[in-house]
Amino acid sequence: MDSEDARDHELVVRLRRLEAGGASAVPGFGYEQMLARHAARQARARRRHLAVRGAALALLVVLVGASIWRLDERVARPVAGTESPAKPAPGLQPRIVRADSYLAVAALEDHIAGLDDALNYARASGGAADVARLERTRAELLASYSQLRYAERVSATF
Amino acid sequence: MQRLAEIVIPDDLLASARGGDAGARRVLFERVAPGALALIRRLVRHRAMADDLLQDTLIAMFEHLAEFRGEAPFGIWVRSIAVSRCLMAFRSPWQRARVALETWTGEEFTAPESDARNADLIDLDRALARLSPVTRAVVWLYDVEGWSHEEIARAFERTVSFSKSQLARGHARLRTELLGPMSSGLGDPMKGIGLRSGIDGQ
Repeated sequence: MDSEDARDHELVVRLRRLEAGGASAVPGFGYEQMLARHAARQARARRRHLAVRGAALALLVVLVGASIWRLDERVARPVAGTESPAKPAPGLQPRIVRADSYLAVAALEDHIAGLDDALNYARASGGAADVARLERTRAELLASYSQLRYAERVSATF
Repeated sequence: MQRLAEIVIPDDLLASARGGDAGARRVLFERVAPGALALIRRLVRHRAMADDLLQDTLIAMFEHLAEFRGEAPFGIWVRSIAVSRCLMAFRSPWQRARVALETWTGEEFTAPESDARNADLIDLDRALARLSPVTRAVVWLYDVEGWSHEEIARAFERTVSFSKSQLARGHARLRTELLGPMSSGLGDPMKGIGLRSGIDGQ
């Protein structure tokens, strides 16, 4: 045990020598470049946020539209055997294309998870304004998410 | 290079930086950035991720400058931001995926810069790189930065036992890599060459 302690001590001494002998780390950017990088990253995040919301909204519209259309079609379809033989044959029926919502749902979930990380950090670092802003954004995304899941459920029942 | 924890910033410079003076902020950046980057690179060996984390750390530093109360040296305050950012990156599935992908494609995941002049320190540097990120962070924070197990447990949001077991595991691994299982000395010089490929669990 003593020998192990001695070796641990030797290890710690070496680690400290390693740190003391460390070459100076030069950042790959200066102050102005850092601000520019940060601004560009924020702009990217805003665009991504808008794109995710737009995609979710578009998907919601498509799903609800498809559901309503399918419902109308079922109501308007005549009962078998009652149609008049003189009635002209119907033309080509429009087909319903079911859009897969998996990617949009996954993107929304990822985005919400990312916001949770940011919220944790903001709470830990005590930025009340950041926390409020992030919670607002999260609430909006959650609302979109729940609408989307509801629309999926509605569409699945038809 | 001055250690991050030892950096002390004069009050007048801090006051100017808090007031938004771009010149003062630039000076602050130049004083703090090298030490912060050195620490981040010790914890996160991935070069591009280290640059991103440095940027996050410094932006957070400027955004929360008004909250620095001067109870500890400025460098210690910045160090706590940097460590917390690194730990967030360890927990992030997105960052783990990014490292795994870039390692798989042969990009970015580089050996640590061999800033040590002596062969044994180079071996130690390589052996450190082979530890898991979490174990490496615990070893570095405890042995070099002087954090207590309680501080490490708080930072990782885990228990004190977690910190102790990670440290013991890290020491055992480093001892085996460097000193050999029984004998002292440098051990096999070929040991320790190679890289871990990515960030594993905690």
